[in-house]
Amino acid sequence: MKRPANFAYWVDDVPPHGVTLLSALQHIGLVCSFLPIPLAVAREAGLTPDRMVDLISVSMLALGATAILQVLTRGPVGSGLLAPSCFSGAYLAPSLLAVKAGGLPMVFGMTIFGGLVETGLSRVLRYLRPFLPPEIAGFVVVMVGVTVGGLGVRYVLGVGAAAPASGREIAVSGLTLGLMVGLNVWGHGAPRLFCALLGIVGGYVAAAALGVLVLADFARVWDAPLVGLPAVGDLGWSFDAALVIPFAVGAMAACLKTVGDLTTCQRINDADWVRPDMRSIGRGTFANAIGSALAGFLGSTGVNTSSANIGLSGATGVTSRRIAYATGGIFFVLAFTPKIAGLLAAMPRPVMGAALMFVAAFIFVNGLQIIASRLLDARRTFVIGLSFIIAIAVDISPAYFRALPAAVQPLVGSSLVAGMLAAVLLNLVFRIGVRKVQRLEVPAGHVDPVALEQFLDACGAAWGARRDVVDRAKFNLAQSIETLLSSGVASGRLEVQASFDEFDVDVRVSYDGPLLDLPEKRPSNDEIVASAEGERKLAGFMLRRFADRVSAAHKGGRSTLIFHFDH
Amino acid sequence: MEMHEEQVSGVTALAVKGRLDSTTAPVFGQKLEAIVATPQSRLVVDFGNLEYMSSAGFRVLLVAAKRAEEVGSRLVLCGLSAKVRQLFDLGGFLDLFTIVRSRDDAIAAAK
Repeated sequence: MKRPANFAYWVDDVPPHGVTLLSALQHIGLVCSFLPIPLAVAREAGLTPDRMVDLISVSMLALGATAILQVLTRGPVGSGLLAPSCFSGAYLAPSLLAVKAGGLPMVFGMTIFGGLVETGLSRVLRYLRPFLPPEIAGFVVVMVGVTVGGLGVRYVLGVGAAAPASGREIAVSGLTLGLMVGLNVWGHGAPRLFCALLGIVGGYVAAAALGVLVLADFARVWDAPLVGLPAVGDLGWSFDAALVIPFAVGAMAACLKTVGDLTTCQRINDADWVRPDMRSIGRGTFANAIGSALAGFLGSTGVNTSSANIGLSGATGVTSRRIAYATGGIFFVLAFTPKIAGLLAAMPRPVMGAALMFVAAFIFVNGLQIIASRLLDARRTFVIGLSFIIAIAVDISPAYFRALPAAVQPLVGSSLVAGMLAAVLLNLVFRIGVRKVQRLEVPAGHVDPVALEQFLDACGAAWGARRDVVDRAKFNLAQSIETLLSSGVASGRLEVQASFDEFDVDVRVSYDGPLLDLPEKRPSNDEIVASAEGERKLAGFMLRRFADRVSAAHKGGRSTLIFHFDH
Repeated sequence: MEMHEEQVSGVTALAVKGRLDSTTAPVFGQKLEAIVATPQSRLVVDFGNLEYMSSAGFRVLLVAAKRAEEVGSRLVLCGLSAKVRQLFDLGGFLDLFTIVRSRDDAIAAAK
């Protein structure tokens, strides 16, 4: 890894105590904006406000432990990066199903199961890539955003509550959301960084001012002790085979999101970043899996790395591991402080709804960006488009899907599950007929460089290859053919073959003539300027540097250059 | 490839659009030579709309830079996209040229 320019405190740096504390508090502020997810599940389960305090306390324990597990650099666990976790929207839909099936013990038990599934997935991540390409990962993140945002809207409008939201409650939601968005868009410095937390505080104030939150709601906060032991797992755990599929899908979604987040984190921390380090990502997803299982064991909902926190560390240029240890430590302290947990447990429904909508906007757009990072052809457009329509259909016509036989209920119980299963199946169907090897003949004396680029663009779109990898392959194809023809090394027709197998993109250029020199050492500037031979050496050097591996073969007067790109 | 030339406060600003390869590099090279060969001349090359540059393009840039140094002229590059910047980086050219972000910065640096 190479230290990026303008980074104040990089991964191995040790910032001063003040910077460490302030940075850790910022991360905690952001993570707390996701607390409405377990609170919403607890609310749906009809948990009493007193028990909410316990839920928040154990949630803090889980968050603290996961932040520290993620930053570990030795052993099988941890990516070694500052990437604190928050409560995962991926587990929201399955958890709401679990609440209906067996209350909170069912949620906790099934969350442990989800964590175990994540553990398994973290070990076989590499082999699942053909079945879970990044555009499906992006789609899943989009659906998580839709789920979280949908619940937020329900809370804001009072759908499913004893009575629809009053004008004052909607005003509280509007003020809360407006404050969060306003500070995020037009704010600077600390107010912008803490916009979610400040919005929640503003929401409490507005709720109190408009009579939505009354003094009695705060009584429990005053009554709560300053220091107390969190009640770990006292509600128990249960298991239902009918919830295996929803939680397995939730685990897969959480795992995919963690992969995306850790990839971003690696890119932020390495000025020389070229491609994801799958070993570090595997260890990171394992840390997250343990975090989810631990959260279920302690009595909370599943966790996920937080995109917002990774964005924060990149924006501030502070990614020191020490911040993660401090964040974890402060979470542990908060877990033993029931007064603060009580304050969070008293969060009014309109404020919670606004916070969920705010968070959903970021998750949704993050998913769209992952989808857009791939070249998309007609097949992939249908995979994403049709899956989205199927997912939304579950939300638009719930009565129809509820009337389906009990055996298929686990598959259509939530838009996230139905959408992801549709995406995986459609991806398998549309793989039929996709040629993984494409050929192009280049007639001697007539090279259209734009046609060469279009050839690889079309291949990349059909395969769903990464744009950056296809761009590098395009350069090598254009540069190699240009050099072969302009220098007279090649004669006759040239043949180009591009192939793809999810992990590699290979481009082969075959021609009649001697091998092209691909030097490992850059020619000097004088050599380059002095002759065409120097320029040819430069071309060979750049071809070697741009590919991850190069090889060349010569047989029977015909030469083949092979450019290999890791994918 | 297209080139657009204009004079700004005594600096020649040359905007290049399209592909700079073995077909187009000779024309580009002649243009650079014509400008920097005049002693004490100032030249800004704006690569904001450059799509591709091969080794042939880099060679004519090196030739122009050497010529500029000989006669006391100044050559500044600007507007490199991430893709073109990566080419400069991998080819070992980033430190050989004065490269700035915007055209205005380049004109200021060339003066």
